[in-house]
Amino acid sequence: MGRDADYNAITTLILDNRDSIYRLAYSYVHNQADAQDIVQESICKALSSRRSLRQPAHAKAWFYRIVVNTAFDFIRKNKKYLYLEADQLESESCASDPYPDLDLQDTVNKLSTVNRTIIVLRFYEDLELREIADIMDENLSTVKTRLYSSLKKLRLELDETAKTQSD
Amino acid sequence: MERLQPLINEYKNIEIPEEVEFMVRKTINEFESCRNRERKLIKFTAAVAAAVLLFVGAVNLSPVTASAMSKIPVLKELVRIVTIKELAYQSDNRDVNIKVPQIEGLPDSQLEKSLNEKYLQRNTALYEEFLARTGEDELSPMNLALFTDYKVKTHTADILVVEEVKTEIAASGAESVRYDNIDLKNQIIITLPSLFKDDSYIDVISDNIKAQMQAKTNKSEGIMFFIAGDGTVGGGFDKIAPEQTFYITADSQLVIVFDEYAVAPGSMGIVEFTIPTAVIQGSLVSNTYIK
Repeated sequence: MGRDADYNAITTLILDNRDSIYRLAYSYVHNQADAQDIVQESICKALSSRRSLRQPAHAKAWFYRIVVNTAFDFIRKNKKYLYLEADQLESESCASDPYPDLDLQDTVNKLSTVNRTIIVLRFYEDLELREIADIMDENLSTVKTRLYSSLKKLRLELDETAKTQSD
Repeated sequence: MERLQPLINEYKNIEIPEEVEFMVRKTINEFESCRNRERKLIKFTAAVAAAVLLFVGAVNLSPVTASAMSKIPVLKELVRIVTIKELAYQSDNRDVNIKVPQIEGLPDSQLEKSLNEKYLQRNTALYEEFLARTGEDELSPMNLALFTDYKVKTHTADILVVEEVKTEIAASGAESVRYDNIDLKNQIIITLPSLFKDDSYIDVISDNIKAQMQAKTNKSEGIMFFIAGDGTVGGGFDKIAPEQTFYITADSQLVIVFDEYAVAPGSMGIVEFTIPTAVIQGSLVSNTYIK
């Protein structure tokens, strides 16, 4: 290939993380075709705007950010997916249910796209909060606040508070 | 966090389709084409729109399409009609002879195939129906005959008109005729309604035919037509059918045709009316076929 250093670094990153990238995309749309569209679009965006990657050390966060933004765009453009805002959640009750874990999953899915992304990146993708802040283009404190409020909704606050504070 | 573990597991177990790796590699290798992705999409849409226009144009027989199509080499020499099959039966008082035409050399083999299938099917049906209807009956030895024949009525670089004449004889004869007006360049069958913008042609042509009938009747004593409102028994001619038999001549004139007995006494045989183009100009879609 021999294009340039950025190109080689990014393509290596993409190839190494392709399954994670796909899963992340899938977590937004829950179908293979759309997930692949998002991945493809993200690769295109990343490679054609690779000059905007200033610190190669942050390449992974940079690329995940592209995937997340592409997924957000995709959801906005495709009305078949619900884009729930945080306040819409308040009306959703999930207190006493005989199937708590189904309930939990349901609640995760009903989180706003931004809040769900933080949960996915933090726990599913096991990224650091600082990386997540980079990806979401938010302050670290904002990400923390969002994460705590999501966890509260998921009724996971007690043990999770302990874990996030170690960051 | 234990409660979240099943969700994490589910996430980790999201099935990765096999094609993802291929897609990722392909996208990486061909990423230069990414930049054109949106533009490609638009181009593609434009191409589809153009194709739709072309299709509509072809149906409406617009001269633009015709001139674009005229780059195709002249087809006149390539197209010919042969008798593929002759269905014949003869006895003392039965005579049937059916010639099944077949078109050869149309570039659109689908059109050629469907036309040829139609010719074969229709003529075979005629033959079988004739034999069934005229089963030998010693008690009523009536002379019956059925002949079909075909010829090329018009053949220019643009248009091929195949004429099929059917003659049925039961003591006296009755002739009927059919035409397939084939646009050789656009590879379509020209129907009468397709020549016109709307249904107005029915009245325009009918009025002109009535006027021609009157003029011919007044001119010569031996000629008469059945015209509606003329005191003719059985109604007489009022309007042409929307799909009235017609053909297009080599000099781009529209000719409306009536079977024997349809609008005139049998002695007049098959009756044709050439419709002056000036009369129908306002209703024509274009002057591609009719000038």
